[in-house]
Amino acid sequence: MGYRLVEIDFAQPLRPIALAADQNGCGIVARWHGRLVGFHLERCEPGATLSVAHLQRIADARFAQAVLAARVAEALPERSPEAADTTLSVVICTKDRAQRLARLLHSLHEAKRDSTFRSVEVIVVDNASTDQSTRDAAAGFGDVRYVLERRTGLNFARNAALAAATGQLIAYLDDDVVVDRCWLAGLAEAWRSRPDAGGFTGLVLPFRLDTEAQVHFEAIGGFGRGFARLEYRQVRFAKSLFPVGSGEIGAGCNMAFDRKLLVGIGGFDEALDTGAPLPGGGDLDIFYRVLRSGRTMVYEPRYAVYHEHRETIAQLRRQYWSWGLGMMAFLIKSRRSDPELKARHSGMVRWWFGDRSKALWKAILRGGMRDVRFVLAELWGGVVGLLGEYDRSLARVAAIREAAR
Amino acid sequence: MTGLVAVRHVDLRAAEPPVPVAELVLDIFWWGDLPLGFKQSLAGELPLGAGQMRALATELLAAQLAGRDPALGAPLAAGSEGRPRPALTLGAAAALDRPADALAAIAPAATNDARGISLVICTRDRPAALGKCLASLAGQRSPPGEIVVVDNSASGSARSTCLQFPGIVYVQEPRPGLSHARNAGVRAARGKIVAFTDDDVEPHPGWLAEIARAFERHDADCVTGLVLPASLDTAAQRSFQFAMGGFGSNVVPVMFDRRFFAETMPHGAQVWRIGAGANMAFRRSAFERAGLFDERLGAGASGCSEDSEFWYRLLALGGSCLYEPRAVTFHHHRAEWRELRSQMRSYMRGHVSALVAQWDAFGHRGNLQRIGRQLPSYFLRTALASLWHRRATRLLILAEEVRGWLAGLLYLVRPGWRRRRGEWPTL
Repeated sequence: MGYRLVEIDFAQPLRPIALAADQNGCGIVARWHGRLVGFHLERCEPGATLSVAHLQRIADARFAQAVLAARVAEALPERSPEAADTTLSVVICTKDRAQRLARLLHSLHEAKRDSTFRSVEVIVVDNASTDQSTRDAAAGFGDVRYVLERRTGLNFARNAALAAATGQLIAYLDDDVVVDRCWLAGLAEAWRSRPDAGGFTGLVLPFRLDTEAQVHFEAIGGFGRGFARLEYRQVRFAKSLFPVGSGEIGAGCNMAFDRKLLVGIGGFDEALDTGAPLPGGGDLDIFYRVLRSGRTMVYEPRYAVYHEHRETIAQLRRQYWSWGLGMMAFLIKSRRSDPELKARHSGMVRWWFGDRSKALWKAILRGGMRDVRFVLAELWGGVVGLLGEYDRSLARVAAIREAAR
Repeated sequence: MTGLVAVRHVDLRAAEPPVPVAELVLDIFWWGDLPLGFKQSLAGELPLGAGQMRALATELLAAQLAGRDPALGAPLAAGSEGRPRPALTLGAAAALDRPADALAAIAPAATNDARGISLVICTRDRPAALGKCLASLAGQRSPPGEIVVVDNSASGSARSTCLQFPGIVYVQEPRPGLSHARNAGVRAARGKIVAFTDDDVEPHPGWLAEIARAFERHDADCVTGLVLPASLDTAAQRSFQFAMGGFGSNVVPVMFDRRFFAETMPHGAQVWRIGAGANMAFRRSAFERAGLFDERLGAGASGCSEDSEFWYRLLALGGSCLYEPRAVTFHHHRAEWRELRSQMRSYMRGHVSALVAQWDAFGHRGNLQRIGRQLPSYFLRTALASLWHRRATRLLILAEEVRGWLAGLLYLVRPGWRRRRGEWPTL
């Protein structure tokens, strides 16, 4: 059972939505004259039809306020510079996923049509793919730069891109996303609103909701961070541990930075986000370091992508495990490299295990074996992460560097 | 919390004001004289910057439009906890002709004539605070027809302060108790509208003009407004504002009427959400209809809630109250920890006494449910949450609330007190 995912522009006349027999719900990406205003999951009977009246009820409760805000925004005086007078490098790191890469490049091509950036270069970093297909896919789009990084590991690839890129801004995309048609406009808007920011993150919506695992992931919040623009600094009111555990800022599949800043703080930590043994923690780490450098991070909902969530329950369980693992590896690393905030790192370790234990207890009370196993996987990942995974990863990464020499 | 806390007023139409030197800043957002909302920030999160100012303006103005534009469903009816019940539909938002005009229609501050208003200030042995309050009233854009100061002290200590200001009607009410004082004020007042504020309050310059406009536009029996903190200099003031929520933070008008009362009465109508005695005004006809304040209640008697009990009576008799947050007063919260503790104790005792009085007068069981079920459950939840989050201050305040509740229970077993049920003083 999955959900049907639909995009509705509520400025247009509504039509009923019919679900297939194997669909027991509907995910609605809401727009208003093209502008993203909301996302909603509606559970239904399998094969049901959502009538126009039903859609209107959903819209009144979930989107009307955002539509009104969009209309108010029209009425407020616009800030002066319309164009984002800066250069941008868009980086896609990929490994053995030529089809998804082509899909993403296609969406990027669409988004580039009305770019206001001075220039946009697209760089595909091939992270040691086993065959030619990635190179071929990139070659299918004329203006794409191809960079090969032989050392396997997402952050090796991200750093290779950092060295190759020329833009003042550098935007990273994972290969399992597709960009929204307003993605570039959203990033330009975010940059214009705060040109001195160190980094930008954006909204991540689901690309499809075909399986139970994908619906489950989205229902517990997914990568969604909401439809309000936010700014983050080194401290936050009523969040005494911030910026430790800065996952609320965004997700690594859709992030952009001031390239010079990134170079200045030494790029990405290659021992995090390495793929198979330690597939996580890299985004937490880079957000944390950008904030600690004293620069602001901006979350802009119009800077949106659609992410292909894990397809099966087993894959999703592994993702839970990797969240725990990545989180703890990041905490161990940061505690060492940033002793000034040591107390917050230790506090986060305690809070995290307390919070996950609470989640485990709730899952047990609800009696859903699946949810219990998700939380257990995450907790187990946390334990492994705490017990030296970062150091093991450092050793592995050193060996990879050695071998590539 | 340690360190300095500052209140910063940010007009989102203008450039961002400088960041005050403080550890924590409570930003109060305005659109000219229209209050839009609040945000607490650590100094390190400020300045907000142009992008965030604009994002806030967009979101907060949209909320104001939804709450103020009749074409979008305003005024909003009160939900069970006194919060505005959303009425906006996508169709209405889409049909809004020109948003700029709609904003221009709700933005202007009131300039309505307030000479029909008698302003009553009850005071008891706080000449310095009263002097500040009276001095600030000179700045009202629309001055009231008269200012009545009711001196509730035995010694007449407010008389000399009043003599420093021209045209003050001085009334002495030696019987102790805020209800006695308020009733003396109503009897002395000659205006068609009687507005109340307290001696520890300084009203916004547009306060009475806004009250006057609200009564002209709506046929409500009572109008209440927003009470903002004047300053947050001491730990006690911060506890009252942040741990206890101050006098509320809703910035959208809400209508409390017969329907609100009918819906919420079975579980104890939460009339205290309507407003605060530091910022309320009544048509004289409301007192003709419902009588005057219950003299067993209020500061100096059972502790407080003479205002909310009156609202209860008014609503029970079919009247209505409009909360209009653009009528703003600034309150000086209790500065000393000792004062705050005793205030929280008497708030709770007064609250329970008012519930007993309401039960006696109308027989609505929701009042007993509130005393016996909702309040104990609130105590328990607050205790657990405070322990979990290690909020020692909140626990200390809670202890005072529980003491106040226990003291309030005693009213249930005071036959002499309860025998005076339903006998309210009249004009």
